[in-house]
This record gives sequence, structure tokens and C-alpha cells, in this order.
Amino acid sequence: MIEIDSLSCRFDGTSVLENISLDIDSHLSILGANGSGKSTFAKSLCNLVEFQGSIHLNSHDVKEISHKQRAKLISYIPAKLEVYDPYIELFEFVLLGRFAYKKSFFEYTHQDRQIALKYLRLLNIEHLKNHTLHSLSSGEQQLALIASALSQESDIIILDEPTANLDPYNSRVIAQHIKALQRSHQVILITHDLHLAAFVNSAVLFFKDAKADFYKNNFFQNSVLQKLYGVEFDNLAVRYE
Amino acid sequence: MGLSLTIWRSDMSRFVIWFALVSIALLSPFVGAASINIDDLLHFDSLSSSIFFELRLPRVAFAFLAGAILALSGLLFQTLFRNALMTPYTLGISSGAVLGAGIAIKLGLTSLFFGLGAMSIFGFLGAMFTVFLLVYLARFLRNSQQESLLLLGIALSLFYSAALMVLFYLGDTLQNDMLIRFTMGSLSVIGWVYPLVLVVITLILILSIYLFRFELQLLSISDESASLKGVHTKRLTLFLLIVSSFAIGTLVSISGPIGFVGLIIPHMVSKLYPSSVDKRILKTALFGGLFLIACDTLTRVLDTQSELPIGIVTAFIGGPFFIYLIISRNKK
Repeated sequence: MIEIDSLSCRFDGTSVLENISLDIDSHLSILGANGSGKSTFAKSLCNLVEFQGSIHLNSHDVKEISHKQRAKLISYIPAKLEVYDPYIELFEFVLLGRFAYKKSFFEYTHQDRQIALKYLRLLNIEHLKNHTLHSLSSGEQQLALIASALSQESDIIILDEPTANLDPYNSRVIAQHIKALQRSHQVILITHDLHLAAFVNSAVLFFKDAKADFYKNNFFQNSVLQKLYGVEFDNLAVRYE
Repeated sequence: MGLSLTIWRSDMSRFVIWFALVSIALLSPFVGAASINIDDLLHFDSLSSSIFFELRLPRVAFAFLAGAILALSGLLFQTLFRNALMTPYTLGISSGAVLGAGIAIKLGLTSLFFGLGAMSIFGFLGAMFTVFLLVYLARFLRNSQQESLLLLGIALSLFYSAALMVLFYLGDTLQNDMLIRFTMGSLSVIGWVYPLVLVVITLILILSIYLFRFELQLLSISDESASLKGVHTKRLTLFLLIVSSFAIGTLVSISGPIGFVGLIIPHMVSKLYPSSVDKRILKTALFGGLFLIACDTLTRVLDTQSELPIGIVTAFIGGPFFIYLIISRNKK
């Protein structure tokens, strides 16, 4: 459950988010043009950017909780893997998702390792566990990011344009995984990909000029799409079925 | 076949490098202007014994610890800022120490406070001042502007150089001579006081880095990623910066600036052992220590009349390496 009250955000005098209030108790897709505030909105949920107003994740004020507590409540998957250290291996990377559960100064436990392995297996990338992240393909890197976020075992998971850098085949693989994630997590999906949004079929928050409109279940009606995008779409979800 | 050849070659190259460095370190106390008579070593009143135990061994120990501190600080700065060019040297922290020591010389403060020379205390203060200035100035930069921080460090170094020139201009011959010697760096120590100071500093530095090795592993991915997984990145970065600047400040205030070790060693160790940062901590310390002993031995082999300052040797090796690093980075 995410409760947002009067959320506003400004960068260098420009308003990026304006007075957004919303309670989100189900899956959500966030759509809108580039620069409309989608990513800033998602980053505010993780307290990664400065904002006015308040955000509560499962009744915890995101500004008040510790970094570790926050990591147990919400995980964020960026559009692209960016790693400075070229030598970190996939298994080590996924294990880092367990950091919030690890005792300070101590090693990761056997249980942490088992959990990391479980998610590598779930995403069918266990055979790559000793490969360095740089040697993985874009699709595999996206799966690595998801596995690392899953091992955080947070209730809420944010995916920021997960298919933006992927070919159609890998986009479909990721789409299927996102659909599966909806069974265990509250999934917040940021995307430009209307096909993907229609496929996951969540409520939609549509951003335009720093403001957001909420569509509980009627976003994919042709009249709405026609109004927002000026084009009609048929059978959007088919691509990822 | 191809793969096994690569492994054999890389294992072999690791062995050869370590073997050469350890051999040089073992021979190092016997190299220098005065020759050591091995038969006299255990006669503790002999000249050979005094030179060996009061000058050569402390010097080798000092060089080892200094190399370890420089290399570890380099590794730490590069990981914290995710930039291969970040070291206490390139960020101007060493220059701050030099200016501090220069001011002490100019003011004629040579007396000792609690057993420490005024130069050391002023040098230490110069290093710490620079760190806090950098931390303060970095607040005006966005997280992504690591290059700007590097430029700030370079700007500070240039400013300190100008201030040092003023000291030269105003100084008398004796003061200028002391200052020039200090800026060239020296590992020459008498007795065991300074090596023991470095033992304590090295242990504090290694322990701090080791305790936070998993946090560093997360920071080596990205600042945002570390924060999202549960690391209080700002607090940790500040803590580790202060610890390593404390170590560097203490070292430079005793030895003068020794450049490029912090730049070269972490890079070489990561090439020899391509693994994540938490597995490279001790190797980097060891390699840095042995490397500086080798450089110091070279200063005594090259010029047996009055040994070459260590800063010159490391700069001659490090300068071209720095250029190589910048070019290979841009190629990527």
C-alpha cells in the first residue's frame, strides 16, 4: 500500500511534479511522455530525490525510515544496468540484494545465498552465475537487475522502462516475468510501451506536464487512447501474450 | 588449449611478479651506500648492525607501510567515487599536506609537540583542511558530477602550488632547501618511531575498509544502487574519506608527497586479480607495500652517493602510466 499526499518536486526552479495525492493499493502502470515526471515520481517513492509532501509505504514514512528498512519495503529496477566495477559476478550481484537483511560487518549467511540462488533459478539465469555482469547480454543484464531486486524480498517493486533497451524476443521474456511478479509483489511499471502496459493490465497513472491522472480500469478503451495519444490501437496486449 | 594457456600464463605472471617483489624486499635492507657486513650483524655494537637495525630495517618497514597506505587509499577513493583517476594525490590532499609543512618551515617552527615535529602537525592539518574543503565544495555538485570533483582537486593543487611558490619566494636558502627536500618525498627514517606510527595507521585503515567491504562492493556498482539496497551512502563515504585522509595526512606529513602509487597499484592488482573490490583489499595493501620497497631500493641502487628522492622515482613510473590510463579509458 502506497499513500501519497501533496507530492511536489522542483528541479532548478522548474516544477517536475505538482501536488499529487493518491493511494495505490494495487499494481500500477505509469505512462506519459519523456520528461513528464514519471521517473521522478518513482524515485520519490524510494526517497532518492528531494520532494515536498509525504509518502507512506505500508504505513511507514519514507523520509523517516532507515535505508535498510526502505530496502525491505521497496526495490527499484533501473532501465539499464550501470556498473563501475567490471569484475563483479552475477551471483555476487544478486546476493547484494540481501544487504538489508545482513548483520553489519558480517558475511552473507547460507540462507542469503540460497535465496539469491532461488531467484537466479526462477529467472533461468543460474548457469550464468559466475559470469561477470559486463559479459552478459542486455536481456541477461535486465534479468540480473530483476533477480537482484527480487532477492530484496520487498513488497513493492518498481520497474523503470524494463523493455526500453531490449529486442522483441527479450522484451517478451521480461513481460512474462513481470506478469508473474504481479502474483507476489505490488508492481509499479514505468513504460512507454503501451503493448506492455496493456499486457500487465494494471491501473494507469498518466503523466502530463508534471500532473498525473489516474485511470482505474478504463485507460485502454479506444476513446481514452484516442484522446491522449491521438491514435487508435487494437489488441495492444497481443504482442506479449 | 587456448584457455588453459591463458590461465597458465596469468598464474605464471602472478607468480613471477610476487616472487620478484618479495625477493627485492628481502634484499632491500642490504642495499645502500654503506655496505653491510653480514658477519657483524649480530654484534649489536658494530656499525653494520646499527645501520641494519636502526636505519635499513626501519626504512624497509616504513616503505612497506607507506606503500600499503597509499595503495589502499587509492583503492578506496576510486571505489567511493567510481573513477580510476581519483586518489588523494590527484584530489590535492597530498598538496595540502605539503603546503601545511611548508608553512611550518617558513614560520621556523621546528620544535616538537608531544614528540611530533611541527612540520608533521602542519602537514596533517593541511591534508585534513583539504578534505573538508572538498567535502564542502562537493555539496554544490550533483552526484553524477564526479569529473567536476576531480577538476576541483586539480584546481586546489594548482592553488597550493602557487602558495608554495610564494613560500619559496619569501624563504631563505636553508628554509627553501628543507622545503625542496620535503616536496620530493623521502622514506628515510631513523629508528622505529615512525614505522610504528604507520603500523597503527595502516591497521586502522585496513580494518575500516574491511568492515565495510560489502558496502564498498555496493558502492562499486553505483551510488544509487548502494542507497537502494540499504547503504547510507553519504554517511559512509564521509567516514571512509576522513579515515583515509587521516592516514594520508599522517603519512605525507612524515614522508612528503609520494605520487602515483595510489593510482597505479589498485589498477595493477585489478588486472592481476579480476574480482570484485572486497577480494582485492589485502592484495592491494601487500602489493602497494612491496612495490614501494622496490622503488625505494631502486633509489639506492641508482645513486649510491646521495640517494634519489622516492617521489621522483614513483613519478617517473607513474606519469606515463597516468597517460596510459587516460587514453585507455577514453578508448572504452
